[in-house]
Amino acid sequence: MCLGIPMQIQAIDGFIAHCEARGVTRDVSLFMMQDEPLAAGDHIVVHIGYAIQKISPQEARTAWELYDQMLAAGD
Amino acid sequence: MSRSAKQWLDEIHALDLPDRVKIMNVCGGHERSITMAGLRTALPANIELIPGPGCPVCICPEEDIYEAIQLALKEDITLVAFGDMLRVPVNVPKNDIRSLQEAKAAGADIRPIASPLEAVLIARQQPERPVVFFAAGFETTTAPVAAMLVEGAPENLSVLLSGRLTWPAVAMLLDADTSGFDALIAPGHVATVMGLEEWRFIPDKHGLPCAVAGFTPESLLAAMYSTLRQLREGRVFLDNCYPELVRPKGNPTAQAHLRQAMQVTDANWRGIGSIPASGFSLRDACAAHDTRRIFPSCADDLRKRAGQMPPGCDCAKVVLGKIYPNECRLYASGCNPRHPIGPCMVSDEGACRIWWSGGVRDNTQGKAAQATASPS
Repeated sequence: MCLGIPMQIQAIDGFIAHCEARGVTRDVSLFMMQDEPLAAGDHIVVHIGYAIQKISPQEARTAWELYDQMLAAGD
Repeated sequence: MSRSAKQWLDEIHALDLPDRVKIMNVCGGHERSITMAGLRTALPANIELIPGPGCPVCICPEEDIYEAIQLALKEDITLVAFGDMLRVPVNVPKNDIRSLQEAKAAGADIRPIASPLEAVLIARQQPERPVVFFAAGFETTTAPVAAMLVEGAPENLSVLLSGRLTWPAVAMLLDADTSGFDALIAPGHVATVMGLEEWRFIPDKHGLPCAVAGFTPESLLAAMYSTLRQLREGRVFLDNCYPELVRPKGNPTAQAHLRQAMQVTDANWRGIGSIPASGFSLRDACAAHDTRRIFPSCADDLRKRAGQMPPGCDCAKVVLGKIYPNECRLYASGCNPRHPIGPCMVSDEGACRIWWSGGVRDNTQGKAAQATASPS
């Protein structure tokens, strides 16, 4: 449960960000990110629907490559 | 430029190391990456990677799950929980309902969710019906639950909280001097929320190397190299091998939400017993959303028997890193992901489930079996 998924913010409405990752879109809470200015285009790490930290585009890409490998190897 | 996994492995193989070094991780995500990447077979044979207390589902007290089952069966409510929790069995006489999944099959209104946002949505869709959110998890998961309450949850939504802190279990192992490890890989996303500094007690108080790692093989190998080199040079410190996410003080907003909604209390860990200051409970300000205050009838103090794992199940020893998953008496011998007996075989973060996913099918002792803990 402690895995975080990197997503890109497409639009922000209050504390809710509409995010995308690999074609999947989700509404994500930014309520725990009030000390970090965020804008459309930024990448965030999402855990159970809440952003926990900002991440660079490169780091987001690296993380997704790992998850692809894990999904391919999973049971 | 960052190094590749192969370069890190070359660096580790070049180190002049003691005969035997045990490195513990305390995160199911770490254990999954280690197993799926086959790191155990790639490292020198004298390095042991031990999965420790890194699975919140595995240590969720049996009495809490029983309480959730009874609530769902006896009260006119909707119960929501993270999917992993639905399959975890409790100890009841044969033919009694032993999991939330079985309670659901018996007609209880139980729904798996993936986010507190879904709990809020379900509560809003049925404002006249109580919704109980059974929330088990470590800090990374408990912080969003706190955020949900601080932001303002619907009146009909309450939380049956089973939140735990990761570091006190490691502290308990070290304080008891039965830790059985020489270095610690600290959990990346717990540290993202709670901060790097939470782990400073490992080098400062116990003189052991510690490095926070992310979830790529490169980040994990960097953390292993760091701790091994610290051991080699006799100079221990707290290293951050996940700087892209982990800040010294973590996520201050998330921590403020935790402090506002919850307090730290002594807490029971399934199979282990009570660990001081290792759990969260809801503050009085959140009493209106505290399931235990709204439905006290379903809390059964008689069930609070520390160490309550199913008969024959060695999950407690697995969780504490005392044995490897396939050293459990039941591993692949009655217990498997299709028919899990202990919680470590249920959760995606349980070490037994992860080793099974990694292709380990034999129930033999120790290191020989470890060698097969790589993708099949």
